[in-house]
Amino acid sequence: MKFRFNTRQKLVGYMFVAPNVLGVTLFFLLPALYSFYLMFTDYSFLTKQSANFIGLENISRLMEDEAFHRSLKYTFIFLFTVPASIMVSFPIAFLLNAHVRMKKLLRSMYFLPYVMNGVAVAFVWMLLFEPNNGPINETLRMLGIANPPSWLASTTSSIYGVGIIHAWAMIGFNVIIYLAALQEVPSELMEASHIDGAKWWQTIRHVTLPLVSPTTFLLLVTGFIGAIKSFGIIQATTGGGPGDSTTVLSIFIYKTAFRYYDMGYASAASWALFTIILLIMVMNWLGQKRWVHY
Amino acid sequence: MDPHTVSRIKHLVRRRASLAIGTWVTTVVMLAIGLLMLLPFFWMISTSFKSPGEVFVFPIQWIPETFRLDHHQAVWVGEQSFVHYYYNSVKISVISTAGAVFLSALAAYGFARTSFLGRDIMFFLYLSIMMIPPQILFVPKFMMFNWLGIYNNHLALILPGMFTIFGVFLIRQFFMSIPHEISEAAFIDGAGHVRIFWQIIVPLAKPALATFAILDFSWNWNDYENALIFLIDKQLYTIPLGLQNYILEHNINYNGMMAAASAGILPIIILFLFTQRYIIQGVAQSAVKG
Repeated sequence: MKFRFNTRQKLVGYMFVAPNVLGVTLFFLLPALYSFYLMFTDYSFLTKQSANFIGLENISRLMEDEAFHRSLKYTFIFLFTVPASIMVSFPIAFLLNAHVRMKKLLRSMYFLPYVMNGVAVAFVWMLLFEPNNGPINETLRMLGIANPPSWLASTTSSIYGVGIIHAWAMIGFNVIIYLAALQEVPSELMEASHIDGAKWWQTIRHVTLPLVSPTTFLLLVTGFIGAIKSFGIIQATTGGGPGDSTTVLSIFIYKTAFRYYDMGYASAASWALFTIILLIMVMNWLGQKRWVHY
Repeated sequence: MDPHTVSRIKHLVRRRASLAIGTWVTTVVMLAIGLLMLLPFFWMISTSFKSPGEVFVFPIQWIPETFRLDHHQAVWVGEQSFVHYYYNSVKISVISTAGAVFLSALAAYGFARTSFLGRDIMFFLYLSIMMIPPQILFVPKFMMFNWLGIYNNHLALILPGMFTIFGVFLIRQFFMSIPHEISEAAFIDGAGHVRIFWQIIVPLAKPALATFAILDFSWNWNDYENALIFLIDKQLYTIPLGLQNYILEHNINYNGMMAAASAGILPIIILFLFTQRYIIQGVAQSAVKG
């Protein structure tokens, strides 16, 4: 039976969405449009002068700004946490999906770090990474590494330190998504491969991995986007330091806007961040068919 | 029985036994790795009960010589207490989440179960807006809140927190899976959209609403960026800012830091223990469909 809506019922639809549409317009759409405008101005919250339109000056300033270039470099290094975390997560998910007791308990154990408060997590890792007496470096020394890195305290290793924290926090998320995908893999396929005489690692390499490749791809894309937007763990552990060695793009934007109040310039940098996200999405869209073996 | 069958059965029994052993070996290995994942938390809890001199004793002393409660006490009572931050966090998270669930459900109903001109274009726009990174919004929101007079005010977190696109998206997905015959029957009985929403769809969608509510609550509770940018006064601080402030004021009190950190994550641990099914489901859905 086909149901016909009358005019009054059509208006009802608008009323249902109206409050949310209003809020989203006010707190998302208009600010985004305003930020786009600010990108072309010299607005600074310090001088409180009205914004002057300066065209593309902020963008050419970004092109020449060494600090911005370094932040791009740190962001790029930080992105490697994503494949690293995925590589650790797949074996965990694979084993959890295999014959294991206490599956639910185990799943929760791996997932817990993901839902934790970033600042609390940052605190703990700051102490674990303590260069002289911290448990991580003591363990490394015990294992025979005489000069372990100073982690968060040194400009050369700090980006890897925050990267490790981020990768650790993301494992739980990756495992959950992999588990969902692995449950869809028919066990007959694995058995067939086993019967055909394939070794277990051959089965993983030629059956399981290709079957979950769309998931791997999804985790890479969402992981990259998440890593680019990531802010809390870095800000709480190092605040972008020492020096500017962990000032990734999101921290660069925050510092420019709320420490130097250079808001037009910060807006331009935030659109640069958006451009990188868009590029990843375009690559995702183009690459989906080529890289996913199904 | 012929010898062939006997050997086959023997083989199967042996395979079964080795599978059972394999299961337990894998379980133990996975438990060990899982505990390794959680070591930072165990270290945090253990340190919060230690004396300052014991913090960096190596090999790690997991069980302190004497359990000291004074660090935890300082977190809950006294002039440096966290109770105030707790109150702020609870207030902001509860109001934001309640608002977000209600407003998202309303909009989700509009998008999923009514038809109006421009509905699909509007929803597509919603999805595009969802891609905007928060970094773009901080500066204009900062200026807007200053102008509205809600900068350095809890409203700067609560008001935007009540509007989430993700919530609309997640709940809409569930609403669309409810058979249309149900609302059609109610229409014929003379019920309007408001009654159908409130008395039929919302009760049916309780699991989806719960999933979103729990996820949104944990996001609000853990929100650090917005609080960092929009709150200045110490009385307004939420837990993440309170924690951050703690380290500025007591630079080397490591035991106190760990006690404070434990207090900060306690509510989420409790929430997680009771609702992990919803949380894990919701997170999985958010990734696959988002």
